[in-house]
Amino acid sequence: MHTLSKEAFNEFVDNLIADNSLDVVGVKSKGEKFAFGPLESANQLRLDYDVTLLPPKKYFFPQRETLLTYDVASGFQAKDPKESKFKIIIGVHPYDIMALLHMDEIFRETKSDPYYLERRYASAIIGVNIENVSESCFASSMGCATIDYGYDLMLTDLGDKFAIDVGSHKGADLLNKYAKDVKKAFARDIQAVGKKKTEIINASKQKFNFSSELIPEMLGKFYDKDGFWENHSDQCLSCGSCVLVCPTCYCFDVTDNPELSLKKGERTRTWDGCLLEDFAKVASGENFRNTRAARYRHRYFKKGKYLFDRFGFVSCVGCGRCSSNCLPDIANPVNLFNDMYSLSLKAGFQIDSATIPDISIKTDSTIQFAPKMATIVKKVPMTSNETMFEIKLDDKTDLGHQPGQFVQVSVFGVGEAPFGVSSSPTNKGSFELCIRKLGNVTTKIHTLNEGDKIGIRGPFGKGFDSEFLKGKDLLFIAGGLGIVPLRSLLNYVLANRKDYGRVMLLYGCKEPRELLFGEEILSLGERDDIEFKATVDWCPEDEVWTSNIGVITTLIPQVDFDPQKTYAVVCGPPIMYKFVIRDLKSRNVPDDHIIVSLERRMKCGVGKCGHCQINQVYVCKDGPVFNYSDIKGVPEAL
Amino acid sequence: MKPKVAFFDFAGCEGDQLQIANLEEEILDLLGQVEVVSFREVMKEHSDNYDIAFVEGSCTRLQDEDRLKQIRKNASIVVAIGACATIGGINSLKNYQDTDVVKKIVYGENAHLFDTYLARPIDAVIPIDAYVHGCPITKDEFLHVVKSLLLGKKPEIPNYPVCVECKKNENVCAFEREEFCVGPVTRAGCNSCCVNEGTKCWGCRGLVDNPNENSQKEVLVEYGLSVDDAIDKFKLYFGWEKKK
Amino acid sequence: MSNKKNLEVNVHHVTRVEGHGNIYVNVEDGIIERCEWNISEAPRFFEAMVVGRNWNELHHITSRICGICSIGHTLASLKATEAAMGITISDQDLKLRKLALHAENLQSHILHVGFLILPDLMDVGSVIPLASSNPDEVKTVLALHRMANDMSNLICGRTTHPQRLIPGGFSKIPSIKELQNLKDRLKSSVPELEAVANLLKTLAPKIPDFVRETEFIGLKNPNEYALYDGKIASTDTDSAPASEYLSYTNEYVVPQSTAKWAKHNRDSYMVGALARLNINYDKLSPLAKKISGLFGLKPVCHNPFMNSIAQLVEIVHSVEDSIKLINELESTGLEKQSDYNLPNLLVKSGQGVGAVEVPRGILFHDYTYNDEGVCTKANCIIPTNQNHGNIELDLKALLPQILNKSKKEIELNLEMLVRAYDPCISCSTHAVKIHFV
Ligand SMILES: Cc1cc2nc3c(=O)[nH]c(=O)nc-3n(C[C@H](O)[C@H](O)[C@H](O)COP(=O)(O)OP(=O)(O)OC[C@H]3O[C@@H](n4cnc5c(N)ncnc54)[C@H](O)[C@@H]3O)c2cc1C
Ligand code: SF4
Ligand code: SF4
Ligand code: SF4
Ligand code: SF4
Ligand code: SF4
Ligand code: FES
Ligand SMILES: [Fe+2]
Ligand code: NI
Repeated sequence: MHTLSKEAFNEFVDNLIADNSLDVVGVKSKGEKFAFGPLESANQLRLDYDVTLLPPKKYFFPQRETLLTYDVASGFQAKDPKESKFKIIIGVHPYDIMALLHMDEIFRETKSDPYYLERRYASAIIGVNIENVSESCFASSMGCATIDYGYDLMLTDLGDKFAIDVGSHKGADLLNKYAKDVKKAFARDIQAVGKKKTEIINASKQKFNFSSELIPEMLGKFYDKDGFWENHSDQCLSCGSCVLVCPTCYCFDVTDNPELSLKKGERTRTWDGCLLEDFAKVASGENFRNTRAARYRHRYFKKGKYLFDRFGFVSCVGCGRCSSNCLPDIANPVNLFNDMYSLSLKAGFQIDSATIPDISIKTDSTIQFAPKMATIVKKVPMTSNETMFEIKLDDKTDLGHQPGQFVQVSVFGVGEAPFGVSSSPTNKGSFELCIRKLGNVTTKIHTLNEGDKIGIRGPFGKGFDSEFLKGKDLLFIAGGLGIVPLRSLLNYVLANRKDYGRVMLLYGCKEPRELLFGEEILSLGERDDIEFKATVDWCPEDEVWTSNIGVITTLIPQVDFDPQKTYAVVCGPPIMYKFVIRDLKSRNVPDDHIIVSLERRMKCGVGKCGHCQINQVYVCKDGPVFNYSDIKGVPEAL
Repeated sequence: MKPKVAFFDFAGCEGDQLQIANLEEEILDLLGQVEVVSFREVMKEHSDNYDIAFVEGSCTRLQDEDRLKQIRKNASIVVAIGACATIGGINSLKNYQDTDVVKKIVYGENAHLFDTYLARPIDAVIPIDAYVHGCPITKDEFLHVVKSLLLGKKPEIPNYPVCVECKKNENVCAFEREEFCVGPVTRAGCNSCCVNEGTKCWGCRGLVDNPNENSQKEVLVEYGLSVDDAIDKFKLYFGWEKKK
Repeated sequence: MSNKKNLEVNVHHVTRVEGHGNIYVNVEDGIIERCEWNISEAPRFFEAMVVGRNWNELHHITSRICGICSIGHTLASLKATEAAMGITISDQDLKLRKLALHAENLQSHILHVGFLILPDLMDVGSVIPLASSNPDEVKTVLALHRMANDMSNLICGRTTHPQRLIPGGFSKIPSIKELQNLKDRLKSSVPELEAVANLLKTLAPKIPDFVRETEFIGLKNPNEYALYDGKIASTDTDSAPASEYLSYTNEYVVPQSTAKWAKHNRDSYMVGALARLNINYDKLSPLAKKISGLFGLKPVCHNPFMNSIAQLVEIVHSVEDSIKLINELESTGLEKQSDYNLPNLLVKSGQGVGAVEVPRGILFHDYTYNDEGVCTKANCIIPTNQNHGNIELDLKALLPQILNKSKKEIELNLEMLVRAYDPCISCSTHAVKIHFV
């Protein structure tokens, strides 16, 4: 440990500021509060602050940033992640350092985020031990009131001087290069720091009545607890303040911003929040987290359970920002968890510390935000609202998808939307999408023609395991647009017909004119190696329909199958699943013989933005194809 | 062919048209994309042949309804610009008082000469295709809406409250400095501009789709307003929306 | 004589003015049967709307009287509230408010002279064709207008419906650095302004040579070209403090108009840039005086068409005076205040008048508050309303002089006359003693 007199420290900071290759930011006052901001001189620093309005996260994952630019003539150009200046952040509290360590894991996992990580590399953190503990801070309950790693330098105010703990080579270099009169700490300085840290830990006014290690298990017992979430969230304004100020929240939205010429533009990402009303709403109008209580609960579960199961940490550092920013004062985790704990005691729940899952975070690849250019080579209207598009990648490569996977389609200036690939991977050179007109991207793409350009990212997600299904009997059950991803598998199976057992297809839609892939599908009826049944919910007078009339479940009793040999593959509108699965189970189909493909709102496609999340599961990454046995315990799924 | 656009104003302050005139250099870019056929505030020419009509101001007189209906007939897209047009705006303050009294206060014994009824947003008279909220509108959102329409898409308008932007802008919340704010129920999109300038949100962009008004009122009272004053905060801009 | 003609001119919704006004002319056998200036703007009843509202909202509400003059309305409103409650503001805030007023004067005058008057003088219908025929001039005007808007943003927190202006001072103030940047821009705009003046000079012969003697009313201040503060002065009579505004404005209702009209010593009077110049000529900044001289504009000028030139002169004055104000602020340094300043004020009952010179002339707000600071009565007298009578009398005087011209030219001339007043009809509101004509 070292020390620097206050004057020498100020000189150190002023030297940093004077170096034009550095971008020096630190804690300053803002109104009666504090915020990180650019430093013009060391005197502006307020290292005695209690908590900043926003956490330093904003420097790594800014409120708004450009991901790519596009030019209708030449396509998409990802923004270079390189930072022009090395950033020094002065005055980060231990809990915010811990939060950054959490964010590092999140942005590194599987697909790494180049922008976040590059900014982390090109920066140094100069931490400071808390001088004034804020009213709502409970960092000590979360074990984050002090920290021994994760910083480059760590300051402790010792009155006339700062004790400085060097945490990295970066930190050591900074001291060497910019500080004068660095002294070795005396034993009494080291003792003083230790004493101070203990004081800080004891200074928290807000505390859990229990150990934070119980949180994941306890939450598990409260998911459905009668009225618990409703009572706590009754006053929720859906204002998102609690998540927007949180140092460990990272949900985002992605939008296109065209220039006035409409020929060029950029794609930006902005902070989003799962507490906001439309966060999980999709184009058809369905809102998968429709109530204040469901959204409110999701936040606690995401931090306290889902991220714990995925990464091994409860993703709250106890900074208290959520609670001090919630106007109706319902977002304080201390109040909520203490209430939960006392109810648990009353109910006699047995709650153990969760065992930390054995996880090693791996990175497969870097997220590619820029789509590849592709060309619409064929456009075939299917119904008044649905059109099939055949698409070729401009680099002449194959998409290389598995049946059931999806792609993110970009339309210049309008944005991106996910679509299941409807063609079989055995079709080389191009692939097909079948798109229903619902919102902006889907409507705009209907105005495009053969030869027009679009952008493609993907394929993404987990598709059907066509290898595993070999030799099995397959029962396809498709409702409406659900036929699209199933067609990819169906055609693959038909192309490799001998590898599979019986193939049955039950297909239903609202009325005859909404039948997709009409001729192709109806011609299946003529094949003798596939059993095909179709139904419509109703048939208006001006249409003709000779087959079954009734909802899709009315077809299930009409087929005979051996539940032990059969795998049912189900895709359709959200309300269909419950009924189909109920009927399949009544026919004794085992849970793990039911395979579903699910739809949720999507933005990133790579497990980061949070939009597609159903409880702990990410549809974009863990799905869209799921085995029913894996998600039957996921309450938001079906 | 460039779409033809026209601007119209009803009971309002013309502050929104001014924001468009304030586009400065960008106006020239805009003129590259659309043909302005009518904009009384800046041009003499006028034509009834237009595709997109931008309408500012509230409807406050029966006689104005005909003009609005004509505009609806002529245009394929009608866009309401500014709070007066989108939600009734500040004009709906007068709706809380008896119309005759209002006229008396302003015109005394000549009140009968002036014709007025409840101030209302344009969509209370004719259907509207898009909204540019705010009092006044912001240039950026106006351009966003224009670009969206030109691209053939429905302009996305936030359905979350001003607090979202206010947090992103790292403001000190009004409630922490003895001010009272209706940001938690007001539709965002202005980049919380009033709070950024040191004040608070007055509600000019109207309510979000599903506001938790009870909670907002309780918050106002919790922080020291009387119940009446809390309700008064809602009257400033939400007059028409609350009447609905 | 070709004078014996029949003519009907109905200019519905005079264009390139703020708000809706109509001109009706009917000539039978060379005799003027009707020559009328009519306001058809939908009335908005602000004076009723503010009754029952709190003292700290009034400036926000009455700002919405007019988007073009919103800074002026806000300032008049704040002054009225402050006068009613005996609130004083610091010298620094006073200077910043003067800058705010200059910003609005620049915004409005540049828009009016550059976008609304220039097309008339260049024989086109709007600035839009000028964008391709005279791109350099248009760009200069746009750049000047942008500067004025940026200045409003900086001082007031918005170009329209300002936010930073609050009772007792400012919620937020610019930094010295920002003010210095502004000063640099103001300084570098001077040559551009001179270029615009020279362009206008070449077009000056197109300004009609029309004179009708009238009374001019505006604020007057012994220390400066009065905009923010002063006594009410007239070219006909003595001056009086703002609180006595009613004896000057004498409003009355006319049947053809939703706005109220006003008169003082004569049948009508004029307010605005020309009135101010006629009253305060001596206090103009040096360059402004020089530009005034370029056009031979000296007090007392009775040609209403010269109002546009007076606006040009005021643009230059506002630039020079702003530079001076910033220099003063720089030399004293800025008093620190919170980023969310909320002055601690004593709310009490009372009545107060705020008078401010806004781009189109003298503006009065008059409020009465009860003990809780709730407004019980309000009166706002808007410059354009004070001009309506003068406009109509000018139209009546001009028409016989141009009767021998073509209908199109007559129309244009009458419209140009109205436009010279830069009428802001959106501002129309209000109540008081009413005389019928
Ligand atoms: C895995 C998957 C496969 C899909 N396959 C198909 C298909 O084959 N054919 C088809 O017609 N539709 C499919 N959808 C639905 C399709 O993605 C939505 O209809 C589409 O995103 C609507 O976008 P929009 O811009 O037109 O609507 P808007 O309402 O304007 O939506 C704006 C944005 O919100 C997001 N969003 C809105 N609705 C959805 C949604 N339902 N799912 C995901 N994101 C959404 C998108 O990012 C979209 O760009 C699929 C969805 C998922 C998740
Ligand atoms: S801050 Fe409070 S009111 Fe706002 S969304 Fe969060 S819990 Fe709801
Ligand atoms: S949940 Fe609340 S206390 Fe925990 S890290 Fe986030 S803002 Fe801080
Ligand atoms: S919304 Fe506001 S800016 Fe627009 S016309 Fe109405 S008062 Fe004026
Ligand atoms: S100041 Fe208003 S808008 Fe901002 S966070 Fe507070 S309540 Fe929300
Ligand atoms: S902060 Fe509120 S009052 Fe201000 S512009 Fe936004 S919505 Fe309107
Ligand atoms: S996490 Fe972003 S779409 Fe799944
Ligand atoms: Fe008045
Ligand atoms: Ni005005």
